[in-house]
Amino acid sequence: MRKFFPVEDLARDSRFSKITIADRMADQRTALNVNVNGDADGPSKRTNNMRLVPSRRDASDGARGLMHGIFVGEIQALEGAGRTCWDFETGTEAPFALKLDMARQCWDEARHVEISVKLSDWMGSEIGQYAENTVLFEAACSSDPVLRLAGVNRALEGLAIDVFTTMKEFGDLAGDQYLEFCEDWMLADEVTHVKMGSDWLRKITENDPERRKKALEFQNVVDKLFSYGGTRSDSQESPIGLARRFRELAGFTDAEVEDIAEVSMQALNERKVVVGQIREAKRLADQSAHK
Amino acid sequence: MADPYKPRAPFAPWDRRTLPGIFDVEESARRVGNYKWTEMKLFEALGGWVATVPELDVKMRLGTHCYKHAWHAELWHKRLPELREMNPERLTAPANDAMVRFIEAMTEPEGPELTIEKLVGVYRVLIPRFIAAYTYHLNGTSEITDAPTIRSLKFILQDEFDDWRDGEMILQSLIETPEEAARAAAHMQKLEAIMIEAGGIAGIGTLGSL
Repeated sequence: MRKFFPVEDLARDSRFSKITIADRMADQRTALNVNVNGDADGPSKRTNNMRLVPSRRDASDGARGLMHGIFVGEIQALEGAGRTCWDFETGTEAPFALKLDMARQCWDEARHVEISVKLSDWMGSEIGQYAENTVLFEAACSSDPVLRLAGVNRALEGLAIDVFTTMKEFGDLAGDQYLEFCEDWMLADEVTHVKMGSDWLRKITENDPERRKKALEFQNVVDKLFSYGGTRSDSQESPIGLARRFRELAGFTDAEVEDIAEVSMQALNERKVVVGQIREAKRLADQSAHK
Repeated sequence: MADPYKPRAPFAPWDRRTLPGIFDVEESARRVGNYKWTEMKLFEALGGWVATVPELDVKMRLGTHCYKHAWHAELWHKRLPELREMNPERLTAPANDAMVRFIEAMTEPEGPELTIEKLVGVYRVLIPRFIAAYTYHLNGTSEITDAPTIRSLKFILQDEFDDWRDGEMILQSLIETPEEAARAAAHMQKLEAIMIEAGGIAGIGTLGSL
């Protein structure tokens, strides 16, 4: 088995369809609010409150889609932690204790896959019903274990804290105790994983400020990618909120949380500009078609 | 209630533990170093394979078992200084060159169509060898002087039996044709040949000599 495994070779059974983040952002149906019947709902029906709550018009489908996203994200997180166990020589490239932590993370992520499969079934969706975005594993492909920790444990698992907090609140508001219970357990694990990443990042780069800087820059890039064009931010226009309290528990400083909030808002605003352009182009196209 | 000052035997009648064991401190440490090295190689391989297997249930099992073997390696890592090896890395070593070749051959399969070969190496060759080596150590070591090793061996053996059962059941569900059975047998034979040369996890004499 080779060291360093390319994202395009991730092994999946026939139910899965892989896409990249570019594919997803280029999909005009997202911007035009195409509904399940293939009809564009249009800008007039888009509200400024997109937070995933049970009262949202498309809450059921949104929650199912998000749960499927969690499911495939957990698979990739499992694969990423597993590759860190294999890709680096113990001692010379990665400390033994770090690899033990990654092995522990494998077990946790494997349980999360099990939980999310059962929750998806509970919510009425099937494996492969939604496409799989492989951006999460891409963050786990760096040749420097510290960059992997920054990208996966701090950025990706940090996003997982935000997602699980949103889903837990969704379960609470919807009166779905089964969902709320499971999300709370997964949230506990994710706080542990983020803390693991924060602790290792500080420890390994203690005497290497250049490496630490590089790792934090990489984390910023991944954080922006994981903001998915504004999917996660403090704004109610984002389906997923920023879970500030749990991020503090996980070892993020106040300044780091503020940075993520800012990056997420930037991503949201950039996405709004793109959505506006797509809608304007569609309006003009519709206009000329009617002439 | 009986008189609390009445002298009692230090070992109760039902406590049949004895002092003698077949390993001295050095031999015990050498074996523990071999166990740690092999458990490390195993957890690394299981973690690496997760991304390469398309079967969802196998992915999840490999991820779970990866941690268990990492934990075993950690237990042995902590035991080494207690056996007078203050630099645990020194004894964290393969039993011999054949053991290195065994691990290389076991971890060679990568393609998504090779799940059977991956699992055969782990669950039909290596883990049975772990069970044998650990059982021999458990049965042979001093029940009193080496009690900490015995405690770890019992925890670890429980995991090994559970994982062996999991892996064997997955293999039985994956092997559906005589051709697949032949593939599994051929790979097992190839790996067993190297393992015989190695003599087991702790080298020649892993299970003593008859």
